[in-house]
Amino acid sequence: MRTIALRLTCVLALAWMAPAQAAPDDHAGAVAALADVHAAIAEIVRIEDGYAVGHGAYIRAAHRAMNALVGRRDDGYAASYGDPGDGVGTLGHLDKMLDKEGSSLWTPAIEGAKANVLAAAENLQSALGQKEMEEYEADLTRTLANLALVVGRPSQDGVLGGLAGALGTTVLAVPLGATSVSGCTDPSRTPAYGIVAQRLVYVALPRSAASAAIPDELSIGRVVVQGDTVLLYTRGAASATAGCHRVSRLERTRDVARARPRQVAVAAPEPPYTAAQAHAGAAVYKKSCIQCHGADLQGTAGPAVAGKEFLTTAKGNKWTLSDLRTTIFQNMPFSNPGSLTPTQYADVTAFLLASNCYPVGTKPFPQADSGALAAVKLGPIPGAKATNAKLGTCAVR
Amino acid sequence: MLRRAIVLAVVAIVSVAAVARLGAQTSWPTADSYVNADTDTANWILPARSYTGNRYLAHSDITATNVATLKKAWATNIDARGPLETSPIVWHETMYVTSSHNDVYALDAKTGSVKWHYAYKPHVIAFSANRGVAIGNGKVYEATLDGKLIALDATTGKTVWSVVGPHDTTNTFYTMQPVPYKNMLLLGASNGDWGGIGYLTAFDAGTGKRIWEWKTIPGPGEPGHDSWSGDSWKRGGAAIWSGVAIDPASNTLYADLGNPQPDFLGTIRKGANLYSNSMVALDISGDTPKLKWYRQFIPHDTHDWDPAMPPVLFTGTVAGASRSLVAAGDKGGNFWVLDAGTGTVVYHIAVSTQKGQNTEPSRAGNIACPNTNGGVEFNGGSYMPETNAFYVPSVDQCGMWTSPGTATYVSGQFYLGGAFPKLVGPSTGYMSAVDIGTGKFLWRKHLAFPQIGGALSLASGIVFTGGVNGDFTAYDAKTGAVLWHHPTSQTIQAPPGSYSLNGKQYIVVASGPAGINFADPRFAKGAPTLEGTYTHPTAATITAFTLP
Repeated sequence: MRTIALRLTCVLALAWMAPAQAAPDDHAGAVAALADVHAAIAEIVRIEDGYAVGHGAYIRAAHRAMNALVGRRDDGYAASYGDPGDGVGTLGHLDKMLDKEGSSLWTPAIEGAKANVLAAAENLQSALGQKEMEEYEADLTRTLANLALVVGRPSQDGVLGGLAGALGTTVLAVPLGATSVSGCTDPSRTPAYGIVAQRLVYVALPRSAASAAIPDELSIGRVVVQGDTVLLYTRGAASATAGCHRVSRLERTRDVARARPRQVAVAAPEPPYTAAQAHAGAAVYKKSCIQCHGADLQGTAGPAVAGKEFLTTAKGNKWTLSDLRTTIFQNMPFSNPGSLTPTQYADVTAFLLASNCYPVGTKPFPQADSGALAAVKLGPIPGAKATNAKLGTCAVR
Repeated sequence: MLRRAIVLAVVAIVSVAAVARLGAQTSWPTADSYVNADTDTANWILPARSYTGNRYLAHSDITATNVATLKKAWATNIDARGPLETSPIVWHETMYVTSSHNDVYALDAKTGSVKWHYAYKPHVIAFSANRGVAIGNGKVYEATLDGKLIALDATTGKTVWSVVGPHDTTNTFYTMQPVPYKNMLLLGASNGDWGGIGYLTAFDAGTGKRIWEWKTIPGPGEPGHDSWSGDSWKRGGAAIWSGVAIDPASNTLYADLGNPQPDFLGTIRKGANLYSNSMVALDISGDTPKLKWYRQFIPHDTHDWDPAMPPVLFTGTVAGASRSLVAAGDKGGNFWVLDAGTGTVVYHIAVSTQKGQNTEPSRAGNIACPNTNGGVEFNGGSYMPETNAFYVPSVDQCGMWTSPGTATYVSGQFYLGGAFPKLVGPSTGYMSAVDIGTGKFLWRKHLAFPQIGGALSLASGIVFTGGVNGDFTAYDAKTGAVLWHHPTSQTIQAPPGSYSLNGKQYIVVASGPAGINFADPRFAKGAPTLEGTYTHPTAATITAFTLP
């Protein structure tokens, strides 16, 4: 990362109300996430290029790369091997960016990056279990391929291409406190970021700072000097400004939307279950669960299992659908765990998902955990229409 | 003149108010009241009546000859969102009780009418339970399922202050009844199956500030730390769930510490896992507690068999000699009598069926007895000097245990390394009288349902206890004969208490829905009781009994 000089200069500028600014910490989050990816890559490259003797050095490298990717809050984190990253991990930074309500132009890129980080972590985990050097190296090669996609690059005119792409071509380029202005016109002050419909058009610097380092991610197509201002136009500038005559209206619409956040469902994986399962599960709940968790699912002798209380806890504790499944399938009913059939367990889980207002689908809740459930994070569902608004639960018929 | 009269009237009102306030201030138990609580038959001001932890009355109007006429004096329904385990506190004609979801009630001890009701909606981690309040200085103190220690105004039920006690509220909460001692409130952290470490905290009763804390698992460099392999001690458990006993003369506190974690997986925490499943005696005279001795009942437990029964300090006669003793009971079905000065075992006797106890839960599963919820449960037993016997209710169940061989910590979830066992075979209970002179049974009653309600003994020769099928029973302390019973039609998990008003003695007990551990399938069909049958109740009730 060679962005320091630019950002230092930028934060000196007076911030003013600007169109299409990313949430202030998102830029920093993306930059930190990228740094953690580079740290992981460096670990892998070092061990692959080197001539380490003995098993330990290879295990250590894979663990250190894993640590940089997943962060210390993850179960895969092994503190004793050290962490070449910042501790939060790429995943930690990306999750924070994705946890917000609503979506941005850069959201798909971040989601794609996350999917590739998870794939990389799986390959690293596989490497840790290998006995043969050849297989270990094959896993690390796959990991590097995943990480290359996480880093990505700015494309000619789009937002594609992982973290670097999003940082180089969208509003995510704007650091906290920096000035962003409409990219449809020349800047009235410097330094500033020219933005149109969340896309980065240019970075404007005073001539005195033009010799400063510029962001790695910035894909500069054209450099224009106007008086005391140096304008670094991105490669996507032309296509971004093509719609400038429509933009003022669009920007206004977006600003209104931003002022009163729209309930946009984040495109995270959704829990699988069918209506038939939820219906069957209602009977299972009534027979085996209602006594401790209550008719309104708010808990009596046991805790709440649906609605605001449950989903807020689930989010706070970072529960995944896999955690929920394990609790239900292994530990419930508390007075006789494991006493239901796998079908009954799947049905009652479906009933709980439906009661929590998760949208019904066509894929049934599985009786066995293939690992995919761990990717589904539980928490309040934006835009959900609860039938019981006070409790935040949905009736299941 | 008129103006002057008004001024005088105002002064008079202010004076009356000042006197009334002064009266209120001095009408609360003093440090001496707590130390001498066992001699006060009118009130019940500590969780188990006195600092000894022994639910015993040396003077009782209710006797073996008149108990048959004992009648319900009043019954008051309270919040029924879960099982009641409250130990009622009674002071100057007012009774303070709690519901499982931390509602607090001030009841008129004579009529049961509600003086005030404090409604609370805690965040429940896993199960709901509350064992009652403490009183003092015009306040009622409650510790909650979301880790708060709350002081309420005893006259109005309004919150005076509220502090958060645990260091991590995602895995730690409170079920224990706070114990007032000197200027402190003593409180154990409940986290034994959720991946926390136990600790006992002393809070300033005036402000809620933390005064000291004693961790139940030795950290690096401390004696006993090497009883944990690797970093396993960090989520080792040893929670303090129920009560503590105190000897005020020597400032010694006795506490039973819970099971190690992950509950059912021992391979990742090799060693004895101190001080899990132990009784500890702490010197609490100084700024921080000092360990005097410990006695570990089940080293390296892999079945969640913690010593659930609160310690009971008593002076008993052993082989003809008077000795200072302390009793403990664990969910593994053991009843222990220790020397109170040294912690050495005087007696050990099994009060529930024991089988397969030395085999760790396997992937395929293996049977062991008691079940996780078997043996001696949370409200414990009582010693009666007149018979030199200890009365202890217990649960008789076996379970099938499994462990996948791994444990993952997820905050706010059980940290078990396996599954809670499946009930195998019958679910019954015992009421046992252990002769302290010999360490053998004086008498035993095998009952159709688990016995978890705790025991109250009266010098007049009666022992009261309740079963999960709702039977509230008075036994003859010498023979075990049933002298009286009352079907509450609700599960009894709470310990009985006693108080007196205008020379009339009352016995009180709480009953309600079954807790998650004791939801018995027989209830659905109508389970047999001493009178008729019992089905799942929808109400929770405080019931007081008295002689006609």
